Amino acid sequence: MKDAATRREPPRTAALLWNRVIRRHWVREPFLTATLAGILALGVAVFLAVRLANKAAVSGFALFTESVSGESDLILRPRAGLLDSSLLRELRAASGPLPVEYFPVLELTGAVSGEEEEGLVRLVGVDLVAIGNALAAAAGSSVANASSKDSGNPSGPGDPESLFRPGAAFVGTAFAAARDLAEGDELRLWIRDREATLEIAGILPDPPNRPAIPATLVLVDLPSLQSLAGEEGRISRIEVRFAEGRDAEEVSAKVAQRLADLATERDLLLETPEDRKASVTRMSAAFRMNLAILSGLALLVGVYLIMQALEAAVVKRRAEIAILRSLGVTPREIRRAWMAEAFALGLVGGLGGILLGRLLASALVGAISATVNMLYYETTTRAVTLHWGEAAFSLGFGVVASLVAGWIPAREASMTPPAQALRQGSQGGGLALLRSWPLGLLLLAVAYACAHIPAVRLPGGTAFALGGYLAAFFGVLGASVLLGLLFRPVAALLGGGGDAMRRYAASRLAAVGGRHRLTAAGLSAAIGMSAAMAILVASFETTLTSWIGQILKADLYVASPGAPSIANANAISEPEWRRIVALPGVAGADTLQRQSIEFEGREILLGGASYHDDPDRFLELLWVDPPPATGPGTLSGDGAWVSEPFQRRFGRGKGDVLELPTPSGTQRVEILGVYADYGNESGTVLVSRASSSAWFDDSKVSSIALYAEEGVDPEELLERLRSEFPAVTARTNELLRTESIRIFHQTFAVTYALEAIAVIIAVGGLGLALAGLLLERRAELATLRAIGATRRDIARAAMWEGVGIALAGLAGGLGVSFFLGWILIEVINPQSFGWTLRYAVPWGGFGLLSALTLATAAAVAWGVGQRNANLRSDRRE
Amino acid sequence: MMALQVSSVTKSYPGPDGPVPVLKGVSLSLEPGERVALMGPSGSGKSTLLNCVGGIDRPDGGSIEIAGEDLGGLDEEGLCRLRRQTVSTVFQFFHLLPTLSARENIEFPLLLNGVAESERAARVAALVDEVGLAHRASAMPHELSGGEMQRVAIARALAIEPRLILADEPTGNLDSTTGEAILDLLAALGERHGTAMLVVTHSPQVPRICHRTVEMRDGQLLATEKPA
Repeated sequence: MKDAATRREPPRTAALLWNRVIRRHWVREPFLTATLAGILALGVAVFLAVRLANKAAVSGFALFTESVSGESDLILRPRAGLLDSSLLRELRAASGPLPVEYFPVLELTGAVSGEEEEGLVRLVGVDLVAIGNALAAAAGSSVANASSKDSGNPSGPGDPESLFRPGAAFVGTAFAAARDLAEGDELRLWIRDREATLEIAGILPDPPNRPAIPATLVLVDLPSLQSLAGEEGRISRIEVRFAEGRDAEEVSAKVAQRLADLATERDLLLETPEDRKASVTRMSAAFRMNLAILSGLALLVGVYLIMQALEAAVVKRRAEIAILRSLGVTPREIRRAWMAEAFALGLVGGLGGILLGRLLASALVGAISATVNMLYYETTTRAVTLHWGEAAFSLGFGVVASLVAGWIPAREASMTPPAQALRQGSQGGGLALLRSWPLGLLLLAVAYACAHIPAVRLPGGTAFALGGYLAAFFGVLGASVLLGLLFRPVAALLGGGGDAMRRYAASRLAAVGGRHRLTAAGLSAAIGMSAAMAILVASFETTLTSWIGQILKADLYVASPGAPSIANANAISEPEWRRIVALPGVAGADTLQRQSIEFEGREILLGGASYHDDPDRFLELLWVDPPPATGPGTLSGDGAWVSEPFQRRFGRGKGDVLELPTPSGTQRVEILGVYADYGNESGTVLVSRASSSAWFDDSKVSSIALYAEEGVDPEELLERLRSEFPAVTARTNELLRTESIRIFHQTFAVTYALEAIAVIIAVGGLGLALAGLLLERRAELATLRAIGATRRDIARAAMWEGVGIALAGLAGGLGVSFFLGWILIEVINPQSFGWTLRYAVPWGGFGLLSALTLATAAAVAWGVGQRNANLRSDRRE
Repeated sequence: MMALQVSSVTKSYPGPDGPVPVLKGVSLSLEPGERVALMGPSGSGKSTLLNCVGGIDRPDGGSIEIAGEDLGGLDEEGLCRLRRQTVSTVFQFFHLLPTLSARENIEFPLLLNGVAESERAARVAALVDEVGLAHRASAMPHELSGGEMQRVAIARALAIEPRLILADEPTGNLDSTTGEAILDLLAALGERHGTAMLVVTHSPQVPRICHRTVEMRDGQLLATEKPA
């Protein structure tokens, strides 16, 4: 500028470009902008939803007394079985005059009559007087006053005497509302194998500043529950609370030390509620982590798409960028402006994703909770709360994803020459690296090497299959690079025949450009990962079906009341199960007693099994490492069979000796064999029922498998069983198989949804990419129109080109899915869960996926072709 | 100081049988306020010379100075600064930013240079008047005719008060009447602002408004003619 004295403001070119150029494009093309933000929002939403639902499913595990009595300072519990209440006296003696309170708790599972298969209720027996006094002390009144109707607590128990009446029960508002219960109503429950009638003595409102009262909690006075369950004098744990006030810390330390001494002496566990929660929720850590990583899939495909869309925007606005360059805007300023666009897109999409994710999480939490319930522990939460930390993390993730996606287009934009040098129709775009096939091979080799990295142990013992995930990442990347090689064969496939437009499309595919490669790479990543998940699910299903076929040999299966869940601790008493086994028409039975025990700091199941002794019809487990002898009577004495997840978790195998904590002291057993178990990931040790009954002084059983005599119809036997033993849940072999497969599909429902989203996003990306390609070729299209091609012809050419790209993406995706499936089955799954699966490919599913992808791609490409067929060659964007 | 000094510039492009020389020792100078028409057949090297002068291409030999600044000593950032502050270009296809109105297009280079708002407003208003578009200043590019778009492009080129305007077929996309009007406008504004102009053209009308015409053939300037 001539006038050096011209007043200057510091130029903020990036802001200027944003304001005057990019923002205006957003306003001019609201649909495209909304689509891009929507895609990103969907990716962020899925990511956030799974995280929130995971969190909700975990936070649903709480100590059931917490919402009623507040959090304890310490918990004392046995490593296995129940405690004798007499321990309380010893505790009080040990702590002497120190100000500490002990709350004995008996916690059992039960089932509401009529809802036997719908879910468990958690029966908690507590010393209501002690809790009442503690609550009242905090409120400055006595228990009687606090619970009176006149106290201003309309939901509290009406009559103080009702607290101690046998059969008096308290439930939360959620429990009462679900069953339309009011104070004074009857509640019929199955406790163990007995049906008991309780009376609702009060409906407890959710306390402020504490966890909400779980919808499955039934609170009963301790002696009352002990008597109803036949567990007189026994408790599950003792919760310890220190008094507040002067010298509290000193006193607490003193008491804690005395309790620790006692716990060591009696081989009990002393832990804080936080320890307890952490150790329980850790069990499902691998499951949740896998789901979270899977949820990143939609976002990853979203990244491809944003990259494509921003690149298309570069192509579309190339002339405009060239003008800016002519006016003196530097490449760096162009790059910054494009990155600002990616950032803004990430921000808008991320914020939208948070709202959408919150809604989606509510839908997902049910499915995740159901799986956690089934496989790990009981969780009660069905409601999701938006954690701001999670929201901020997801927003940040969305913005970073968008910036990563925007980097290449921004770089490409900055390399645009000034308008003087710009030649129309210049084909650019796509990653230059995507053209190097040796790099593709190198990436696959890296992927294969990563698959051999052993699992990384996270704090708390959870195994993280880092190598597996890295292998999957490099595998997808390698396939993306190599699929450029597929375009020529695809072009040859499509180029035959006399259809001019198909030939034109094939010639375009043969001269494969960067955008073709990038689009096919996005599609291949989405299809590869989805198809790999389908392989995993199919392998799981095949393995499970064969496992079920192997282990379900009996005609009828009988279990204690309550839904099939790992948390179901109901049991059938000895007289009852003996009567069942002795029913006319029953040839024999397998019985299983299940106990939860603490083994090396982690919770496992100890099963006491007794098998039918007919050499022709007996339960033969599916062996991973078979014992020296199998068949009736081979599990006895100090021998044990362990499940495969146990073997993987604890690194113990055949010949090792285990020290199992039991109420009658530590028992040493030798591992004789390892069997496959897909029903429980925590690990199971199977011993003979005779041993477990003796160790736990418990003759109850959890489940029975009945073998019908020859000629006896299992259905008739089932009817008889149901009429004579209403307390138990009975299913025929066929029903149990169907039920198992249904539960299996329910477990994988979340993954199906995630896969579908990823593929939908990828096909959407194909449409966007084609629109960019056609825009780039507008001069060519004008030529085609000039020599007589109709709009339909151009749409048809676009369709064939779209189909060609989809074919390449599909072939690459399905190809890499075999490798990804192998990683999931041979690396990630064994490392995370300890399950060996039989590799199975769902060919039918692959066919359907291919047909749907190609059909959708053809339709999308046709639409894009129709819309762009009339582009003027001299149109300036 | 000369507005433009091109001295013995050479430039070759790689070809299948070795380098193909496009500029063969071209020398040319423009006084401040001087208008020169650069004519010649297609492939003679006009565009290459224009690109070298505009800093888009680098010559293999020789030197180019604009307002005393040697382009050979400038990096990419320096060339951007040159385009932002010293040299403007007027294109055959106008190249207006489609998202900005006529007034905003004219204002844009001033914004890039950080010119204060009051001065910016005054300068844009004056230019809009000068090119006769006061009544169309708020129109978007797609609402303007070809002649109007080229007027906006000329005003935009003048906004930064450049030492040199490079015009690449400025009437090539206009009908003859509009083309004449645009040439008159260019000449008038060039006189008023004292801006030198190098106009690349095939049009026989352009020399009418130029102080001289140079013809290029096979990468060499043949003769310098005074306008008829």
